[in-house]
Amino acid sequence: MILMGMQETAKQIVKLSLDEGFDEAIASVFDSASTYTKITNSKVDSIIEKHNDAGWLYLVSKKRILLINIEDLEEQSVRAKIKAAKKAISYIKPKDDYFGIAEGPFKYGFSTDADAAIKHVSNDSLSDIAYAAINEAVNNGAVNTAGMLHTYYTRSAMASSRNVAAESQSSNARLSLRSFTDDASFQDVHLSQQLAGLSPMKLGQDTSEMAKSMKETGRIKSGKYDIIFLPSPGGTLVAQVNDFVVMSEIEQGSMFTDKLGEKVASKNVTIYDSGDTREMVGVSPYDAEGYPTQTTPVIEDGVLKNYLHNYTTALKYKTKSTGNAGLINPEPNAMIFRYRKTVKDIDALVAKVDKGVIVTNAWYTRYSNYLTGDFSTMPRDLAIYVENGERKFSIRQGSVKSMIGIRVTDNMIKMLNNIECATKDTVQTTSWDANGTPCIAPSMLVRDSEITAV
Amino acid sequence: MPQLDVLAERALKAAERLHPEYAEAYVEHSYSQFFPIEQGKFNGGGFSESTGVRIRILKGKRLYTLSTNRPSEAAIASLLDRYRAFAGMDTAFAHAPREKDSYKAEERKSIDDADLLRDMTELDKDLAKMHAVKYRSIYSWKERSRTHFVNSEGSEIRADKPDVGAFIALTIAAGKDTRQRMLQPGGVGGYELMEYTALHKMLTDEVNAIENVLTKGINLSAAALKEAKNVVISPEITGIAVHESVGHPNEADRVFGREAAQAGLSYLTREKLGMKICSPEITLIDNPSIKGTKGFYLYDDEGVRARPKTIIDKGYQNELLTNRAYAHVLHTRSNGSARSDGYANEPLVRMSNTYVEKGVATLDDLLAEAKNGVYMKNFMEWNIDDTRTFSRYQGNVAYSIKNGSLDKPVKNFKLEKDTLEFWNAVKMRSNEFELWGATCGKGEPQQGAPVTMGGPSLLLQFG
Repeated sequence: MILMGMQETAKQIVKLSLDEGFDEAIASVFDSASTYTKITNSKVDSIIEKHNDAGWLYLVSKKRILLINIEDLEEQSVRAKIKAAKKAISYIKPKDDYFGIAEGPFKYGFSTDADAAIKHVSNDSLSDIAYAAINEAVNNGAVNTAGMLHTYYTRSAMASSRNVAAESQSSNARLSLRSFTDDASFQDVHLSQQLAGLSPMKLGQDTSEMAKSMKETGRIKSGKYDIIFLPSPGGTLVAQVNDFVVMSEIEQGSMFTDKLGEKVASKNVTIYDSGDTREMVGVSPYDAEGYPTQTTPVIEDGVLKNYLHNYTTALKYKTKSTGNAGLINPEPNAMIFRYRKTVKDIDALVAKVDKGVIVTNAWYTRYSNYLTGDFSTMPRDLAIYVENGERKFSIRQGSVKSMIGIRVTDNMIKMLNNIECATKDTVQTTSWDANGTPCIAPSMLVRDSEITAV
Repeated sequence: MPQLDVLAERALKAAERLHPEYAEAYVEHSYSQFFPIEQGKFNGGGFSESTGVRIRILKGKRLYTLSTNRPSEAAIASLLDRYRAFAGMDTAFAHAPREKDSYKAEERKSIDDADLLRDMTELDKDLAKMHAVKYRSIYSWKERSRTHFVNSEGSEIRADKPDVGAFIALTIAAGKDTRQRMLQPGGVGGYELMEYTALHKMLTDEVNAIENVLTKGINLSAAALKEAKNVVISPEITGIAVHESVGHPNEADRVFGREAAQAGLSYLTREKLGMKICSPEITLIDNPSIKGTKGFYLYDDEGVRARPKTIIDKGYQNELLTNRAYAHVLHTRSNGSARSDGYANEPLVRMSNTYVEKGVATLDDLLAEAKNGVYMKNFMEWNIDDTRTFSRYQGNVAYSIKNGSLDKPVKNFKLEKDTLEFWNAVKMRSNEFELWGATCGKGEPQQGAPVTMGGPSLLLQFG
């Protein structure tokens, strides 16, 4: 290392960059370790352990931007990298609408901690946690289980040529489990910043209980249905709003382009992008430019309020950074969904439905047009047909085991307008399809979606 | 560049200190450049160089994988000191022949000398001149990856794989109506895969075809959509259907439940192997050894020699894609389908270049046989359930077929079918053959595998 501390290393890399003649520089260094304990057929299938310590350097010269990685943090190697970058950046063309990087110094509103139990977790402990979930599910009637226990630990530091220096460490753990009965399956996930925050036995109990909750199976016909989304499918679907409101997406054509100030959702819907909700996994006090993260209302009372910016896009559009800088483009943080009129629980949502489906998990959401927001998504795991306020049967459209066989087709803005009710309680959740990105969401009732059935 | 053979041998030596039944080391050095051009603006560029190692061991029948970007023997030994025995399933690898080989992907035009940014800039300018193109972005890259694989059984494989490509996103507009198109040209090989003239023609044709749909297309009535029993699909639609509803369900790890909480399951089970999936017209291959494709390799990431795999033989399921672990389960040998997206992730059972074998008829023959129906040229939206039974492909560019010829463009056609119904409806294959590039997601952490998929045009006749 150039110097002993990570923050000092980042500062030194910035200094070397400026000495070489670059106009601006952001250096980021990190040390991370992660594990993946895979559950297959109610056993631990394998364990993967990944270690990575390296750095990234963002360089600007005459509006030309170059991003390079630094694997070797020895000073001689870093100097050589920066010299090579000086030559390479001449090859890059200027970004005409570049307006600089965030000017510090900044004070950060919170700090994150790393869980020593995650940092030092061993194979046998990981396996024990996985089996606690598996055994509980099997003992409660699951005929099979599958899942993943993931842990992540990192410490990182960054510095920039605009008087910014910051460092942090954090950790998180994620346990997902899919429990199967002969007729149905149910998958859920627990997220925590501490290993002890996971409740593997409860996850095993809850997933197996839900999987066997419906005695009857049945078929439905294609047509219009109300949909009750549980937090994971509903939250990860709505979280896509935040992907579409980052300024780089807005400039390249999104369903929210040119809609600031317009009503795009039910007046009861508020959606935040949050980088500073302390209890959420993956939060950081600062973004890639070192700008403090914040909670930004994206949609407030149904009206599109803000796009998500880094420093350059904020200046371009005469506003302030929202703390969403990635190293090239702005990036969303976590999504938080709030609904003004809530009901006590999912039973109260079911009571409002004459003809509908409870979707407990979904994947493969694809858009036919990002400009209009037309999409479809595939329910998987337990999907329950609801009629006249009562759960009737779990949907099985064919003989293939675990197949549901229905597709939900909708338009994102229509769907946001048709969210008619939500539960009071929210949970922090994610899904495999969302790549583990967390969100906080309730169960929600969406009126009038189209379902096609095989 | 570090000496990969030395690093690999030292990593293997460090792993063998744990006295495993099996050990392997995979060292990778890669150098890449990327250039995003968004709506005509140059949004910087990136240069990345990295070296890392992945070690896999089977110890006490448990499979353990370690990856690090600090590939020295001492660093690896230090990490392996933390290894503890754990409870889990018994895993064993099927026998694989000892291989010692070295190969380099064909590179007729060096990617090192190629001015990718210049050519992509020209393409962007071309798109800017097309009045129907409302939004555009081109993300291009070139990468050279050198790998060195060794295992405790004496295999040693070196590979040098240049990779060049682009992800192109277009929004085409006419009045208030819009359509979008995503394209992924390129492959494993030299800069000849990104030849400017060919890319310019492809983009021009794509934009013109979509603009034609937007300006002249009609919406078929619900009754007409229901009556469209004869559907001719292009090689691109054949490809996505091959990949999603036949290729994926024939991945052994899905069949045996390893992806059950991630990328999903399969309609196939051990008991259903050999079942009839398609009409007798269909023989379906996965072949990694096609030069210049995104799915090209000669040895997989477990050091197993690649070969064409006949997944479907004249309509019947014939062979699962396997790695060494699932080959052991199936009492066979691996057919070389283990791929990782880099040293940091585990090899998974993956497709490479997957396609239907072509026929002898012309596209006109298929249209004539269809007489009346719909021709689907390409798609934007698609998805499938996690057992791979119920898929949908939206016709981004489609035409009605009237009296055996293409008629008016159709705006609202979607092919939404049960897998067996879809594949058993195939009545004719054309003599065309195209492979289309894509990136396939699987595993946890998710890995994106570059693949191609395709074949001929097909005539489907639904009852």
